[in-house]
Amino acid sequence: MVMTHPGLPLYWAYAIGIMMLLLALLTMAVKAPITSASRSISLAKLPLIGGLFRFLTKYTWPLLLLKIAFAALFITVITAGLWGTPIVERNLATTLTWNLWWTGIIIAIVFSGSAWCALCPWDNIASWLVNHSIWRRSNSHSRLQLKVPTMLRSVWPASLLFIGFTWLELGVGIVASPYATAMLALLMLILATTTLALFEDKAFCRYMCPVGRTVGAYSQLAPIALRPIDSEICRNCKTLECFHGSDKIAPCPTKLIIGRLQENTYCTSCGNCTQSCPSSNVSWQLRSPSSEAIKEAKPHMDEAFFLLILLSLTLFHGLTMLDYWEVYLSEMAQLINDSGQLIISFSIGLAVTVILPIWIYCLCIGLTQGLLKRNLENGMTKLSFNKLFSGFAFVSLPLAFSYHIAHNLTHFVRESSDWLSLVANPLGIGAEPLSMMDKHMRHMEMMVSENTLFIMQGIIIAIGFVIAAQVIRHRGHRLFAAQGITLLPMILFAALVTGFNLWMLVQPMTMRM
Amino acid sequence: MIKITSKKTVILSGLLLCALALFSSLTQAHHVLGRPSYSLNEDSNTPPSMAIETQIGEYFVTYMVFPAFPKPNEPGRVNIYATRIDNGEMLNQTITFTVRDDTFWGESIGIGDGAKPEVIGQQNIDDGVYRQGFLFKSRGSYIIRAYFEDNGEPYEIDFPLQVGAASPVGPIGAAVGFIFFLLLMINIVQRKRIARTKIQQGNTAW
Repeated sequence: MVMTHPGLPLYWAYAIGIMMLLLALLTMAVKAPITSASRSISLAKLPLIGGLFRFLTKYTWPLLLLKIAFAALFITVITAGLWGTPIVERNLATTLTWNLWWTGIIIAIVFSGSAWCALCPWDNIASWLVNHSIWRRSNSHSRLQLKVPTMLRSVWPASLLFIGFTWLELGVGIVASPYATAMLALLMLILATTTLALFEDKAFCRYMCPVGRTVGAYSQLAPIALRPIDSEICRNCKTLECFHGSDKIAPCPTKLIIGRLQENTYCTSCGNCTQSCPSSNVSWQLRSPSSEAIKEAKPHMDEAFFLLILLSLTLFHGLTMLDYWEVYLSEMAQLINDSGQLIISFSIGLAVTVILPIWIYCLCIGLTQGLLKRNLENGMTKLSFNKLFSGFAFVSLPLAFSYHIAHNLTHFVRESSDWLSLVANPLGIGAEPLSMMDKHMRHMEMMVSENTLFIMQGIIIAIGFVIAAQVIRHRGHRLFAAQGITLLPMILFAALVTGFNLWMLVQPMTMRM
Repeated sequence: MIKITSKKTVILSGLLLCALALFSSLTQAHHVLGRPSYSLNEDSNTPPSMAIETQIGEYFVTYMVFPAFPKPNEPGRVNIYATRIDNGEMLNQTITFTVRDDTFWGESIGIGDGAKPEVIGQQNIDDGVYRQGFLFKSRGSYIIRAYFEDNGEPYEIDFPLQVGAASPVGPIGAAVGFIFFLLLMINIVQRKRIARTKIQQGNTAW
């Protein structure tokens, strides 16, 4: 028997639909300002909490303690996965990885930007193994420092790994296997260690890590980021310790210069810049949420594809948890004579779901290009499809993020495990599987009331569309002098994705564990 | 002739008789499974490698694998005993036994020869028990599956079997070994590179 969650009430979907219609008209009617400076507040300068942020960025040991704690937790997860009970909901490996971590990491971006990367046990354990140093700058001979091959110098490796992860997670079913979960964690650790030992800087974090790139992409919407406290100090800086490092502190692992940093994408929040800056001029800042996606982030083709793939995979996650999915998969399996685990049918479903949104996006970009060329025949002679493609790709970011959070909230709120018993018995020794009554009780005992959850989900989806409309309006105007009817194809794309997201949220959803 | 002399002796004799009666009933229960005790069977004087009692669908299933440590080229046996949960009636159908390699990826993805199940045999009930003999030529981890159908419902009972000693290198060993080897190699290459650079610098300076 499979447990399902009830979906969002239909009136919420209608309300958001009306809001979308009004906002779409407004987006086409009101011209975006050409220049508008983003406001930001340094958290280190705030009266009450400023001291705490100054303390966190000045000393190494608070972050180091957190890194060690997360590494210990990671080792516990591997131990539980390899030697613990195979009962999914009684094993810390599966529960912590898929129910808490993968759900919580997305929600955490709203509050802490890309801070997860600083605590990431894959990178930290790899760094300790390779550098032979816990935090100081290392002179270890265990790194070949090779240049990253040109074909790997993009986020395509991360995109392909992300698709692979999704295939393993939902197709092969590693979510339902503590052993496979632990093996995947080990595999990622080996990949992180190997790339760190072979290549210069942190090639794994920058080009390959699907989790890091997802966090990096989403953190462009985050209201918090590491930035200079006083831009003038950075402007006059000649030594660039944030980039080169100091005697004790390593340089920026992803080659960023903090004074010129406009995008959070590749910042791993490692704290090297806060530690090495001789003027202690780097700290956490509160800023206008999604300002990067709307205005500051520069478009690149590989990153644009990553954002679209992120959107596709987010939709795919939702799709596989609907009742319809099983029916379609079964029909397809009968059609192509696929038996057993239906892995071929699943793979076809995944491929179609990845390609379809990108194809619809391309269609909308093509329409935008046509409209722009007609309206601005002489003005925009160099209006290429690629520029439009990468320039507008940021629209997929709030759409993916909002659905990702709304969907994960359901898992988080409705499938909260008995954490006390899990922590007390992480390997689940002698544990019994959940009975239907247990499952039913878990289903009923929610962290917040069902109505609160629906309100949160509705608001999040609505915010996603609002930001998407802003991205279209600002980017369209600033990059391509587009306004009015020329923005319609992109608005339709955003509306179509939001509408599909809403439809999925309205449907009953299958429980994960 | 023994003469009963006291009340105590009567009570003690009574308790002894009860104990004997209890013991004999237990022996009968064991005999249903076709073996003299829970730890031995007719082919093996060692305990089973596993003895599991579980419920699946409409049935209460008991299965055992003999001997405790099956080795390559030595015969072993799987015993299955199944009764209906509702009325205790014994399962009386043909059970098909298959075997495949115990790999998560092989089972889930279906890649590789090890993923394809091989039929060991089909067994009918014999004295209340389904007995399937096996003989593995090479050591490894296997999954034996007992398959039958009842009222149109398929029943698949999987149990793992380790033949011979398990590989001394598990996933952790392989991961640690790989990382250690990688770092060692890189260290050697780096030290050679540094030494060569120093020699070249020395030659240039001279």
